[in-house]
Amino acid sequence: MKALKKEIQSSFDNVLINIIDKDRMVINIDKNGIVSLLSYLKNMGYEHLALISCVDFIEDNEFGLVYIVSAYMENDQEYQKKEKRNIIVKTRISRDKPHCITVINIFENAEPYERELHELFGIYFDGHPRLTPLFLELEYKIPPFRKDFDTRKFVKGFFDKIPLVEERKGKK
Amino acid sequence: MRELELYFGPQHLGMVGNFSITLKVEGDRIVKADANPGYLHRGFEKLMEYRTWMQNFPLVCRINVVEPDHIELIYSMGVEKLASIEVPLRGQFIRSIYCELARVGSHLFGLWAYANMLGFDTAAQWAMYHRDLVLDLFEELTGGRVYHIYIRPGGVRRDFPNGFEDRIIHTLHTIGSKVPDYNATFFENRIFEKRAKGVGKLNREQAKRMGAVGHAIRATGMKYDIRKIEPYAAYDQVEWEVPTREDGDVYARLLTIRDEMIESVHMIFKLIDKMPRKGAVCTKTPNPFKWNIPAGDTYVRCESSRGELGLYLVSDGGDKPYRVHFRTPSYSHGLTILEKALVGESIADVGNIMISLYVVAPEIDR
Repeated sequence: MKALKKEIQSSFDNVLINIIDKDRMVINIDKNGIVSLLSYLKNMGYEHLALISCVDFIEDNEFGLVYIVSAYMENDQEYQKKEKRNIIVKTRISRDKPHCITVINIFENAEPYERELHELFGIYFDGHPRLTPLFLELEYKIPPFRKDFDTRKFVKGFFDKIPLVEERKGKK
Repeated sequence: MRELELYFGPQHLGMVGNFSITLKVEGDRIVKADANPGYLHRGFEKLMEYRTWMQNFPLVCRINVVEPDHIELIYSMGVEKLASIEVPLRGQFIRSIYCELARVGSHLFGLWAYANMLGFDTAAQWAMYHRDLVLDLFEELTGGRVYHIYIRPGGVRRDFPNGFEDRIIHTLHTIGSKVPDYNATFFENRIFEKRAKGVGKLNREQAKRMGAVGHAIRATGMKYDIRKIEPYAAYDQVEWEVPTREDGDVYARLLTIRDEMIESVHMIFKLIDKMPRKGAVCTKTPNPFKWNIPAGDTYVRCESSRGELGLYLVSDGGDKPYRVHFRTPSYSHGLTILEKALVGESIADVGNIMISLYVVAPEIDR
């Protein structure tokens, strides 16, 4: 694991690498380096993209994007040989202009994850072929998973406008 | 031939769950498929940010209706990792036994859905009945049949009742004694073989590229199982095998599921044998209303009956999670692989491929 850390540090600028426990490595990198770092990791054998997630750091006015990659293992020998670890790649993007580059050319299953983050956090992934709605029915002024979207307030404002059955009957 | 658009689901006989696919068809052949989830989107991950760590348990188990136990487990594992809580040994064994029972129950339910869709009603009814026997065990142990809320940070909610191990063994023997009948009527049936062989084929490279996990990738010959790679609970305490197949089609996937069920049953017997007879099942945790968990983030994963299940959990040091994101196996299976695997197949095979991939809609929508 330390060897990989050294290799990454020598090939990329502006990376901050932490090893937590035995099996977790966290790499912090600038958003412009994401594509090259992920394709580098894929060539190193980390072919499985487990998750793309996003955290809304509203106090810093930034979004944190998280990519989690790990290695596929084929048989018992590889369990022994390969180091069993998850690599967590983190980057920060501005909250006012949330743009990032898509990684679907590297990992095919990134497509729905990026669609989801676009819908729920309002992040634009440049180069993504279909950033169309995935789950939601309505359009929201603030994307609903951001921290400044208050679910309870929305529910009150939305459902309280629907008149009660008695009121509707009275109108007839 | 003229190209037509066909809406498959959410109201369709071949569709299990609230999920739909928009198909472009030419005659009977599928040219393009667009998965269309969202019918069950309840925003659990957002709702969890408003509730305390312990209050979230009744929410998380509803993420996967068929198999809530692994979701409870993964959430507990995440909280334990952030709060640095250790689980006592007996608790670990009980967790493993409980999760393997859940796997058997969930596979039987999957078998019901699949056999029912193909018209093998006899095998389907058996599977449903046998799942009910497993649910009886859960009812005795936890009080609930479907949603158990049994696993909690630090261990499990209560110890096994008196003689419960014997009843597990008895139930599993009852189910196991039916395996030859299942084989004769279903798994070795020529009609099933003809329907399933060569359909929805994925080779290993495709499966890897599209993020396949669980039985979908084990059906291509790869022994990818989180229980082996990153053993949690008591999975490293006993010997067991990862069943695989080579062909990567629907037939191989179904046989992998059967082999997995049999392996799980054997594993439960070994776990019961090796389980410490006495000891605590849960570590004491602080008062849930005043429980602040140190700031930090973590990613934990386990093997649910559908494949790798992960959780990315962030805490800001408060009494509620700051961000929760579940990596569910159906997500890649239903949204990436299904769209690709359907192209070129016939309309009659949509349900065939979808259920063999074990796509569960609530898990995608969350």
